[in-house]
Amino acid sequence: MTEHIVKSYEGQLQELTNTIIKMGALAESQFSNSMIALLKRDQDLADKVSGKDFLMNEFDIKIENLVINLIALRQPMGIDLRETVSSMRISSELERIGDLSKNIAKRVRHLTFDVPSEIADSFKRASNVVQKNLKDVLDSYSKRTKDTAFRVWNSDLQVDELVNLVMAELLDFMKINEKNLEISTHLLFAAKHIERIGDHVTNISENVYFLVTGDQIKGTRSKKVDKSVET
Amino acid sequence: MVNEKIKISTRNLNVYYGVKQALFDINLDLFEKKVTALIGPSGCGKSTFIRCLNRMNDVIDICKVEGSIKVDGEEINGKEIDVNVVRERIGMVFQKPNPFPKSIYDNIAYGPRIHGLANNQDDLDRIVENSLKKAALWEEVKDRLNQPGTGLSGGQQQRLCIARAISINPEVILMDEPCSALDPIATAKIEELIDELKKSYTIVIVTHSMSQAARVSQNTGFFHLGKLLEFNLTEKIFKNPDNKMTQDYITGRFG
Repeated sequence: MTEHIVKSYEGQLQELTNTIIKMGALAESQFSNSMIALLKRDQDLADKVSGKDFLMNEFDIKIENLVINLIALRQPMGIDLRETVSSMRISSELERIGDLSKNIAKRVRHLTFDVPSEIADSFKRASNVVQKNLKDVLDSYSKRTKDTAFRVWNSDLQVDELVNLVMAELLDFMKINEKNLEISTHLLFAAKHIERIGDHVTNISENVYFLVTGDQIKGTRSKKVDKSVET
Repeated sequence: MVNEKIKISTRNLNVYYGVKQALFDINLDLFEKKVTALIGPSGCGKSTFIRCLNRMNDVIDICKVEGSIKVDGEEINGKEIDVNVVRERIGMVFQKPNPFPKSIYDNIAYGPRIHGLANNQDDLDRIVENSLKKAALWEEVKDRLNQPGTGLSGGQQQRLCIARAISINPEVILMDEPCSALDPIATAKIEELIDELKKSYTIVIVTHSMSQAARVSQNTGFFHLGKLLEFNLTEKIFKNPDNKMTQDYITGRFG
């Protein structure tokens, strides 16, 4: 992309992009640390995640200010307008991912014993897909690639299926012994949070696609419903 | 842009100043009762283009205009066509307000008089009043119609020029940077006026203000080095233009 004639304008847009990238990196680490904390019952790490959440909010406020300034002072057009508008929306999606990660971390305190390894493995399978999607969608943002954004958008159903699998396993686990109820309840919420984070990642992919192409993503996602995990 | 009636269409329009070619094969349709904005860097040919539409280039000896310009399907670009009839149908407003050194009244009455549009004084009074009302100037000047037009403020002078242009009831109004010498409030008044006027007239506006083009027009054409690089819905041009050069120009990246 050719640079703006006015260098300070270029600088402001660059700052916006850089802030999103930094915020995205923090969202990635918040989410992956919350999962490690959950599955290893690592209370110190969980506290670290909770303690860092305010940074996500600060990023969100900073981005909002940058965007409002750009609109008021520069009246961005074309690609710059799309950049400005989609940055604000991506920032709120990341902020929600931060909140959900913190919520997962807060549940660590309530785990009275270790997560059974089979269930932990299923958790990992689901969260790994979401983590990869989050990483990919942030890459597609910084490199402005619409194909990656589209792939992420199209992989949401895989996430749903993996989360449903976790939930089915948790239900079975609850049935075995009522002592399992409390921990399972918290883990059910955690599983739901992973799914929600996946949804926010999909929303980011829609914004990246719009930023790059100027169009909304169209089409229907490939639907494959596994009846065995429907409850 | 579908199902719109085309008011003016140009085909393979080429314009030369001596040996220098100023416009290259311009094919452009202007839609009836719409505002079309023409944007592009200085010297790109947008003013030359609108001057072709009412044959203002005729007065420049070295200027040669080739190709077809049709208004309602009728050719206007030919020696056998009466230029006065063309200019009766297609009025023009310039960058700098240029009222005649006459009274406000006579500024408006001049055109209708020479075109014989009024049968008597009452007729003429009515035309003057209506034109000033349409140009949103009547309330400000109705008590001083005999004072010189040059005594008005810049914004009022520009609206006086618009009133003068519409006094002979044209079909098309060409505006060449009509707000570049005006303050923001006077500019807003002209833009409001353009919104109002498009109910009755086809309007073409040349502007260097991207935001003005975005605000007032329905269609936008981007000129560069004498060529029309993109013509599209205004929304499309400013949100997601097709042409890379348009993108660079509207976002201020032009080298």
